[in-house]
Amino acid sequence: MRRGAAALVCALVAGTALAGCGSDDADRTPSVPSSSTAASTTPAPDDPEPAEPQAAPPANLDLALSEPAEDSLYPDVGHPGVDALHYDLTLAWDPTTDTLTGDEVLTFRSTTDAPQFQLDLSDALEVTSVRIDDADAAFEHRGQDLVVDHPVTADERYAVSIRYRGTPEPAEAPTERSDFDGGLGFTIDDEHQVWTMQEPFGAFTYYAVNDHPSDKALYDFTLWTVDPMVGVANGAQVSDERAGIARRTRYHLAEPAASYLVTIAFGDYTRTADTGPGGLPISYWTFADEPVPDSLFVSPDAIAWLEEKLGPYPFDTAGLLVVDSESAMETQTMVTLGNTSHALAESTIVHEYAHHWYGDQVTPNDWRDLWMNEGMAMYLEIVWTAERNGQDLDAAIADIAPYEASYRADDGPPGDFDPENFASGGVYYSGAMLWHALRQRIGDDDRFWEIVAGWPASRDNASSDRETLLAYLEQTTGDDLDEFWDAWLLGTTTPG
Amino acid sequence: MSTRAPDPEPTPDEIDELARRAQAGDAEALELVLAAIRPRTLNVCRGVLPYTPDAEDACQEALLNIATKIGSWGGRGRFTTWTHVVAVNSSRTTYRRLKNQATAYDPTEHNPLSEKPDPRTTSVIAGTRLDLLEAMESLEKDHPQYVEPLILRDVYGMSYDEIAEQVGAPLGTVKAQIHHGRKLARPLLREQQ
Repeated sequence: MRRGAAALVCALVAGTALAGCGSDDADRTPSVPSSSTAASTTPAPDDPEPAEPQAAPPANLDLALSEPAEDSLYPDVGHPGVDALHYDLTLAWDPTTDTLTGDEVLTFRSTTDAPQFQLDLSDALEVTSVRIDDADAAFEHRGQDLVVDHPVTADERYAVSIRYRGTPEPAEAPTERSDFDGGLGFTIDDEHQVWTMQEPFGAFTYYAVNDHPSDKALYDFTLWTVDPMVGVANGAQVSDERAGIARRTRYHLAEPAASYLVTIAFGDYTRTADTGPGGLPISYWTFADEPVPDSLFVSPDAIAWLEEKLGPYPFDTAGLLVVDSESAMETQTMVTLGNTSHALAESTIVHEYAHHWYGDQVTPNDWRDLWMNEGMAMYLEIVWTAERNGQDLDAAIADIAPYEASYRADDGPPGDFDPENFASGGVYYSGAMLWHALRQRIGDDDRFWEIVAGWPASRDNASSDRETLLAYLEQTTGDDLDEFWDAWLLGTTTPG
Repeated sequence: MSTRAPDPEPTPDEIDELARRAQAGDAEALELVLAAIRPRTLNVCRGVLPYTPDAEDACQEALLNIATKIGSWGGRGRFTTWTHVVAVNSSRTTYRRLKNQATAYDPTEHNPLSEKPDPRTTSVIAGTRLDLLEAMESLEKDHPQYVEPLILRDVYGMSYDEIAEQVGAPLGTVKAQIHHGRKLARPLLREQQ
C-alpha cells in the first residue's frame, strides 16, 4: 500500500464525516455522511458526479417484519425486543491502519414496551454516537451488548443512527471445526484485505445488529476503501465510483436476509460477469492477480439444475466471491468461497447455491434446526455429484452411512447436536439421509421433488422450524411422520 | 456453510517418520500414523470387500494388527506399502470368518419371506468381488506364493517394483508369479463389465 494512501483516505473519509483522523480527535462527532460532501473534497479532475443522496429506506419495510426469538443454543446473541427492518450500512475500510469506520442507520420495530433497547456490537469497536430522531441518545456498551437508553413502544418503528470505529476482531466460533480456528465475522488477511463468514453469529463484529436468524431485514451497503481495493457485498451493485484513490461501491439487497447471510469483503478484486437461467445476472469477484477459477463457471448449469428440482431461483441476482478463507458460505445472492480446492469445488458451489432455497429463502428461526439447511444442501450436493459421476444414488447414500453413524454417536443426533460443536458432520449427513429416506417412503420421485420445492416457496422470506416443516410434510404426503421425524432427528442410532 | 474440508494428508515421508517414532515407542506418533493411514487402509479393504460394514470391520482389524505388529515393519519400503499388505490379509481373514458364519447359518430353517435378512449372509452376498476372493482361496491351496503378489497387483494396483520390494523376491520372479497366478485364477473369475 502506498504511503500517501492513509492520509488521502483519511481526508476523503473525514469529508464524509466517517472518522476523526490523525490528531484531529476533537472532531469526533461528524455530520451525517453524504456523498456530496465527499465529492467536494476530492481533488481528482475526473470526479464522479455528486451522487444521489443517502439511499432512502425502501418504501415498504413490511417485507422484513419478523417474529424475533431467543435462541435455544446461543441465547447470549440476539435480542427478541428488536425486529430489524432495514440496515443502511456505510462502512469505510482503511487498509493502512486496519481501521473500520461505520455509520449505520437501523430502522426497526420494537416488539415490546421498554425503557431501552439492545443490539449486538463487538466491543473492539468504539461507539462514537447514537442518535434517534436527530437527538443524541445515551448508551452503554458492555461486552457485545449495546444498550440504548431510549423508551420504545410495542409495534412502533424507530430509526437509530450509530457511528463507530476501530479494528474489528473476530468472535470465537462455537465449534471444533478447524476451518473456523480464526473465528467468526470480520477477518483481516495478511494483505489487509477483509472477508466475513459468520454462522451462527458474528455480524456483530462489524455492525450493530440483532444477530439472530429469526430476524431478517433489508440491506443497503455503501463501501469505501482505497485503490486498488474495492468493497463487495450482497445484492445488486448500484454504483461503483472512484474519486482520486478512493473507491466507493454501493449494493442493494432487494429481499430480507438473516444477519449470518450477510457478506462484506474489501480486497484487490476484479469482477467477471456471467448469465444464468432466464438472464439471471451472475457476478464472480476474484483476486485481480489470480486467474478466475474454472469451477465458478459451473454457476449457470448448477442453478439451472437446481431449478429443475426446487423451482425458480428465488432472488434477482447471484454471485460468487472468493476470499482468503478455508470454508464456504451461502451468503445471500453472493456466495462466499474460500480460496481452497475444497471450497472452490463444483460440488461445494452447488451446495451453496442449493442453500438459496433451503437456508436463505426459508431460514431456521433457531440454530437447533441447522439441519434444515444443511441436510437438503448436502442431499442436493450428493444427488448432483452422483449424476455427474454416473453413480447409483443409493450407493452414494450407502457411502456416507458409516460417517452418519459415527457423527450421530460422537456429536449427538442432528436435531439435538452439541452446541459447542456447531456444524459438525451429523447435520449434513443425517439430514441428507433423512431426505433420502423420505423420498423412498414417498416412492414417487416427481412427487418428492414437488414437495421439496413447495416448502421454500410457501415460506418465502420467512424463518421457520422443524414442527412447521413436519406439519407441511404430513399435509403434502398425507402420511403420519411423527415417528419417522423423531427417529431421524433425535435417535441415538441411525434409523433402520 | 460447506462441510469441513478434509484435513491435509501427511506426505509418505511424514508417515514413514511417524512410523519410525511409533516403533520406538512414541504413543502419540502411533496414534497419528494410524489416523493418517486409516482412509487408505479402508480403501484397500473396500477393494476386496465392497460391502462397507465388512470393509470397516476388516479395516479395524488391519489397524489393530498394524498397531501391534508395527515392530515387524523392516523399513525396506514405504510404511504404507507394508500396511497395504496387512490390510489385504485382514480383509481375507474377515472374508473367511464371514463365510464360515454364513455357512453355519442354514436359511432353509427359516422362512426367508417372513424373516429379516440375516446380516451375516447379507453382507457376504452383497459383495461383488466374492469370485475373486474365492479364486484366491482356491489358488492358495496349491500355489500360496502366487496369492499375495496377485492381490497386490490386481486388487490394489501396486507396481511390480513395489510388490517385489514388499514380498522380498526378485522382480522377474514376481512377474512370473503374477502371470501364472492370473492364468490359474482366470477361469474362476466371472466376467468383469
